[in-house]
Amino acid sequence: MKRGPSSPRGLVFIGIPAAALVIVPVVAVAWRTPWSNFWSTITDDTSQTALVLSLRTSLITTVLALLFGTPLAWLLANSRFRGRSLVRSLLVLPMVLPPVVGGVALLYAFGRRGVVGGVLDDWFGIRLAFTETAAIMAQFFVAAPFFIVVMEAAFEQVDQRIVGAARTFGAGPWRAFLTVTLPLVGPSVLAGLVLTWARALGEFGATITFAGNTPGRTQTVPLAVYGALESGSDSALALSMLMVVLSVAVLVLLRGRWVGALRRGGA
Amino acid sequence: MSLSLRCQLERGSFSLDVDLAVPSRHVVGIVGENGSGKTSTLDMIAGLMPCTTGTIMIDESVVDESTTNVFVQPENRQVATVFQGGGLLPHLSVERNVAFGRGRALRSTARFDEIIDAFDLRRLLKRRPTELSGGQCQRVSLARAFLSPSRVMLLDEPTTFLDPDSRTSLRRMMKDSFAIYEGTIVIVSHDRTDIDELVDTVCRVQATRGVTTSATLSNR
Repeated sequence: MKRGPSSPRGLVFIGIPAAALVIVPVVAVAWRTPWSNFWSTITDDTSQTALVLSLRTSLITTVLALLFGTPLAWLLANSRFRGRSLVRSLLVLPMVLPPVVGGVALLYAFGRRGVVGGVLDDWFGIRLAFTETAAIMAQFFVAAPFFIVVMEAAFEQVDQRIVGAARTFGAGPWRAFLTVTLPLVGPSVLAGLVLTWARALGEFGATITFAGNTPGRTQTVPLAVYGALESGSDSALALSMLMVVLSVAVLVLLRGRWVGALRRGGA
Repeated sequence: MSLSLRCQLERGSFSLDVDLAVPSRHVVGIVGENGSGKTSTLDMIAGLMPCTTGTIMIDESVVDESTTNVFVQPENRQVATVFQGGGLLPHLSVERNVAFGRGRALRSTARFDEIIDAFDLRRLLKRRPTELSGGQCQRVSLARAFLSPSRVMLLDEPTTFLDPDSRTSLRRMMKDSFAIYEGTIVIVSHDRTDIDELVDTVCRVQATRGVTTSATLSNR
């Protein structure tokens, strides 16, 4: 027996199935991946096109979330306008909404017969649905709320005494925001970006509904995986394995930076 | 230089009525129970919160007035603040915190050296606030306040979370600096010794609690 106060025994037996359900499939993918021709599989035309498209669209989505989500999160955290809680609920809705429904919603807003899309098509000849832009919009719809939620929480935790002190020592509202508030939320920016990027990279339902499944234009990696699985191609496993490796790499890479940034920030 | 408040603050079921006049080179101490509006009073003077009705004047000029809709932004009031816990920027070194907002040039002036030595910060210049004790943070915060060109200085419970030794030494530093300060000083404190040793006049917030809380603060 280990010395020390005892903990509730038996909890581990209840916890193991949950862990197994998560860990076993990941191991299975690694197990069955055709390692001998792994490289040639993920560099074949379809896979490579999907990879490049996925990287490009998910990075654009993440940058857009940063640029537009940060001010929005600040507003949600700091201003007290009427209907604020309604706006907030609507903004986080995509986090709980089935992505397919998000795709349908996007289609009826920005599709050719959509509320906004119809006007865009009639007046400007702009068609968004089933383009790469649509893939980015689908990813933004599903992933940006993660960034907004993380950043809103971060802005709410900023000690207003520190910002206030900076104001009295000569910093105008913008300077206080840029040199005090933003550095204080820095670690959360990183966390929010990673979450958003990961979610955007994995987006499937909204993309296939609103952007379709056109190789080279809207067929991102998750869509390519699904297609390859249907046609019984090896690349389903290889691409899945690549996504697993990528996800693990990001988590490991950022964990150190994250903790370091939190310590530096004094959070 | 002087400070004058004749104003009210309404916040839900809380109302505060302030009538204060403090001449320059004078230290006024505000005491009173928690939640009676002491910090709110400092916030109104600093410009971090507008008064609901009334007038606030610094040096005979209006900085906040409800009837004329005047509100001078905090960065333009020349009010220095020493907040609870210091209000320091955690991502900047002590040196940059003390010189906050006024660039590199300041750090090579005689005045800067003088203040750094007055608050015994020479050894701590390169550290960050997270590596400092509570007393050291307060010293940095005081140095920043005394280095800024201010007309009014506000201190919110500067010795509250300190151990007795740091409290005594910080009090001595404050006393020395107060003696040569040209402006008006307002200090909120729960500490009897702070009040006895640092303050010229004491002003108590009178609060009556019920369904609504109304508080008055007056020295006129």
